[in-house]
Amino acid sequence: MTPRALALIVAWCLFDATGPVVSAGGAFARLQAPAPELLTTTGEVGRFGGHFTITQRAEPRTLNPVTAVDAPSREIVRQTVGDLIHINRETQLAEAALAKSWTLSPDGRRLVVTLRQGVRFSDGQPFDADDVVFSFQVYQDEKIASPQRELLRVGGRPIAVRKVDDRTVQFDLAEAKAGAERLFDSIAILPRHLLEKAFAEGRLAEAWSLSTDPAAIAGLGPFRFKEYVSGQRTVLERNPHYWKQDRQGQRLPYLDRLVFVPVTSEDAQVLRFRNGEADGILRIGAENFDALAREQEARGYVMRDLGPGLDYTFLFFNQNDPPAGATAPRALAWFRDTGFRQAVSLAIDREGIARLVYRGRAVPLAGHVPPGNRRWTNTKLPPPVHSPGRAEALLKERGFRRMGDTLVDADGQAVEFSILVSSTNTVLRQIATVIQDDLAGIGIRAHVAPFEFRAMIERVLNTKDYEAAILALGGGDADPNAELNVWLSSGPQHFWRPAQPQPATAWEAEIDRLMRAQVSMLAYEERKRAYDRVQEIVATNVPMVFLVSPSVLVGARAGLGNLRPAVLDHQLLWNVEELFWRAGMPRTPR
Amino acid sequence: MTRLRTSVGLLAIVYVAAATAGFLAPYDPAEQNRRYPFAPPVKVHVLDAAGSIHRRPFVYELRPRPGTFDEYDEDRERPLEIRFFVRGTPYRLAGVVPSTLHLFGVEGSRRVFLMGTDEYGRDVLSRLLHGAGISLGAGLLAAAAAVSLGLVIGSIAGYYGGASDMLAMRAAELVMAVPSLYLLLALRAALPLHLAPADAFVLLVAVVGAVGWARPALLVRAVVSTVRTRDFVVAARSSGASDVHILARHVLPQAAGVALTQFALLVPQCVLAEVTLSFFGLGVSEPAPSWGTMLADLQRFHILAAAYWWLFLPAIAIVAVFLLYYSITDALHQRLMLRS
Amino acid sequence: MRPIRLLLVRALYSAFVLAAVSVLLFAALGAAPGDFLTDLRLNPQISPVTLERLRERYALDDPVPVQYARWAASVFRGEFGYSLLYNRPVAPLLRERAANTLLLTVISTVVAWVLAVPIGALTARRRGTWVDRLVAVVVTVLIALPDLLIALVLLLIAIQVGGLPTGGMVSPGHEAMPVAARAFDLLSHLAMPVVALALLLSPVVIRHVRATLIEALDAPFIQAARAKGADDRRLVYRHALRASATPIAALLGVSIASLLSASLAVEAVMSWPGIGPLLLEAIHARDVHLVVGAALASTCFLLAGNLVADGLVLFVDPRTRA
Repeated sequence: MTPRALALIVAWCLFDATGPVVSAGGAFARLQAPAPELLTTTGEVGRFGGHFTITQRAEPRTLNPVTAVDAPSREIVRQTVGDLIHINRETQLAEAALAKSWTLSPDGRRLVVTLRQGVRFSDGQPFDADDVVFSFQVYQDEKIASPQRELLRVGGRPIAVRKVDDRTVQFDLAEAKAGAERLFDSIAILPRHLLEKAFAEGRLAEAWSLSTDPAAIAGLGPFRFKEYVSGQRTVLERNPHYWKQDRQGQRLPYLDRLVFVPVTSEDAQVLRFRNGEADGILRIGAENFDALAREQEARGYVMRDLGPGLDYTFLFFNQNDPPAGATAPRALAWFRDTGFRQAVSLAIDREGIARLVYRGRAVPLAGHVPPGNRRWTNTKLPPPVHSPGRAEALLKERGFRRMGDTLVDADGQAVEFSILVSSTNTVLRQIATVIQDDLAGIGIRAHVAPFEFRAMIERVLNTKDYEAAILALGGGDADPNAELNVWLSSGPQHFWRPAQPQPATAWEAEIDRLMRAQVSMLAYEERKRAYDRVQEIVATNVPMVFLVSPSVLVGARAGLGNLRPAVLDHQLLWNVEELFWRAGMPRTPR
Repeated sequence: MTRLRTSVGLLAIVYVAAATAGFLAPYDPAEQNRRYPFAPPVKVHVLDAAGSIHRRPFVYELRPRPGTFDEYDEDRERPLEIRFFVRGTPYRLAGVVPSTLHLFGVEGSRRVFLMGTDEYGRDVLSRLLHGAGISLGAGLLAAAAAVSLGLVIGSIAGYYGGASDMLAMRAAELVMAVPSLYLLLALRAALPLHLAPADAFVLLVAVVGAVGWARPALLVRAVVSTVRTRDFVVAARSSGASDVHILARHVLPQAAGVALTQFALLVPQCVLAEVTLSFFGLGVSEPAPSWGTMLADLQRFHILAAAYWWLFLPAIAIVAVFLLYYSITDALHQRLMLRS
Repeated sequence: MRPIRLLLVRALYSAFVLAAVSVLLFAALGAAPGDFLTDLRLNPQISPVTLERLRERYALDDPVPVQYARWAASVFRGEFGYSLLYNRPVAPLLRERAANTLLLTVISTVVAWVLAVPIGALTARRRGTWVDRLVAVVVTVLIALPDLLIALVLLLIAIQVGGLPTGGMVSPGHEAMPVAARAFDLLSHLAMPVVALALLLSPVVIRHVRATLIEALDAPFIQAARAKGADDRRLVYRHALRASATPIAALLGVSIASLLSASLAVEAVMSWPGIGPLLLEAIHARDVHLVVGAALASTCFLLAGNLVADGLVLFVDPRTRA
């Protein structure tokens, strides 16, 4: 055999081993390039083909990972991008993604990441450290004002990014930050070859709108953008260059297409899903869940109640100082009295809320970290108590008394206030109605004041012209750092009294101290202790009366393999590259 | 003739019922019976277990079926007699006279839900009766205000023509063109945080009146502009009758048909408009019941799919009342035609 | 006044109405609390600094007159503003959605009128009989129940019966289908929305036709003709309709005027990609340019409808020309 023939045979063998077909001319190039280091998933080995349709409650606005802020856009973008380090939605722990491995220096300030070799973008162009450096440059750019920019600041300074070589990138933090690797989750790596020019010309924020030619968009996610028809659908197609494979070495994803269809309401979503026109549904209320669950067998889908998630609902009071020159409203004295708030908490029938509003699919809360957040919830907090008797006793201690049916304060004024709630959020309105009834039981006259959503936020966070309000939070990361701005007294989302120049109370000062400290604690146990203490303080001083944490409810067409819905976002599609249709599924005609 | 009388009579009964809602309704419309959400209406029995007629009609208490959220069984061990003229939850008759007398009820603290309960376990019958007040009152006034205003403006515009016509019609167009939703947002911002029910009432009438006059005005004007040149009008003018006189005696009755039809169409729209106002926080707020919200609450998939059929009973009652309004306007129309 | 002059004056006034609508809406913008970015303030992971920059980029803090001027300039460029919600100029977005809405409403209006006029006439002729009462009940039910509820009930019935899609305008593979299949696809998606909208539009027409026909039938010359033994049907359809043409023409104008707004509930429930849901979303999200653009589009139809109505009335009843 001639050396040339041998070389050809070797080339052929390597060519075969590296997977999808490439042109003959590329065979030699492949000989020189290293075999791509793919991530092997652990799920069941599946079948290729089919598409997955899911409905969205609003239309997407952009395909730009840097500026996408609204939920539908992010839902779509997430399927087209890859990150260096990814948080596994099931285990809630960080794991390697585009970064094959990483090391954190002992002082916690230097993270060195080794990238996977041979990975390509969805348009076939190679991925290397230059793309990483470029991406972080974009995210940290002042003029672009990406929401991720602030997340990538540690100790008041942006993270310094340095290319060490083609496959290694070094990140330097101004100070140690606990869970630093979690920062990289969902920071999409951008293709330098497509966006460099736009960035240089200052046009990057406008790039990649929905009317962009698909060929001009590329990413490292399991799917790539195929088409968008206004008001009707957004279609993503399989990324043939995706860097994950299953246990048999087959390139993922299994599905051919992802289709996102805008519908205007939850009811419309339910109808589509029920009729077989959508393959998955999430973020539905308990009533719709029960209505769908009744027909599961007949209609060929499965509904799953994943138990409590990360969301929590709460009632809080306006404790802000009155505007300069105005007299303090009488209610301010009540709202600032911890005993008053504790009494309100005792009067509320959380079981009733869970049953009437969520049909039992919610758990009463004592503190702000719901049981769905397994790693961080303080399991030693006493469960919430429902006792109007104790509430009345406590109020009497604080100087209130009953005059017939009405509760009056020490000056004889009837205790009366309005509870602000978003008019579009039926669930919160229902909670408000239940609470109103509970408070009437102890003589407090509460009015439910539904407000248009933005008008309500303005009143709470801007003009501070409200008395009490009900909100819901959650859905972000499980890590305590995600809600730093809620618990720091200087935080803008410190709802009852935001942006304090100095902590107004001793316990708020204590929370400040603990939250700041835990940011730089590197050991999980230490952080947990500190955060447990924060939860205790919050539960005792009741700045927000925590109500319930709803269960996460999802549904999917029967026969979807590797379906492992999780409590974190994206509940159904977090492992979309592994999802596949079993033989003969789905049964409804396409 | 008799049709008008019967319809008015029936409507009067409805209004009296609305005013005496506290007495007719067995319970407070805000009372939440949390163990009984979505309870179906109870069956009233007359024959007891032995088959003989019981001295009073009675019902069986409902027992929630364990493990379910909205399913109940009759508890055969616990018959409850329905008594009349019982003492119950206090209320104010017509909003003024305090009383605790109710038309019917069952002993002690038990409950009988003749029309079932809603999602909070509130008695649907009580809510239907109490909700009639604001819907009948405000809805009627709002529709009357809108149509009256439209009638006057449309008549003037159609009769005089020229500049006043242009002005009035363009103003009507402006009113119809602006998406009032946006203006309601601004309006809400200008108002205080909590609106008393009386304020909500006035607001409904004012807002609907301010917006609702446009379409009746357009239609009335079209009719009046043809009447203007008719022989009898010309004759009346030439005999020296004043414009007002002509308008009132000759022109308006011609437009009456259109105006009355618009009125009968507007009343239900006004009742529903209350729901839109509530969205912006301008309507009646919980726990006060209103027909508009009771109807709007039905438009959820899980309600329609779950066969909570008793929640549609109020719809039947409400439709019946609107039929009465229609009947009255139709009969009035006939009357007016006969007269002219 | 000569017709041309009348038309010109009318056009001038109409332009004034359009301008006034835009000014009113921008003023309401200034007065309504909150704006496009307000909901981001609730998110603990978006910092105030980012919000500030975004506000600068969208120029949300500029005084209202400045924002209005900027929008007006965009109007003259033909873009009619820039939608923050959809990240596109308003005009092309509105064009496609308006076309979808018009397709639905024009067909539905025709169907509604074709059904409603004869029914209204029938109930006028057979006044007081069981037919009249039955129609009265059905009509009352249709106007008493909220539009959304009726649309939802119809949708559920359609789904139970089966065969019809649950919503949307076309199926996913629509562009790839041959012409015949495409037409069929569109028709099958149109079926339910048209039925629903026609049902929602008919009651007003039925009631008005009935009322005006009753008046017309009551006229002396009709009584005289009846006394002479003329055939009832012929009486109604030829003489009475002509006599009552004016209010019906006015009603037609009203129908045209509301072509862009009548289908909101149906579009929302059946996910028809029209202007209705667009406007609702825009109001909710405080996308001012889109709200104003959609309002102006509706206003154009309003003005056109009234113009048609007035023209029809002039044409039908020459006495008004005096």
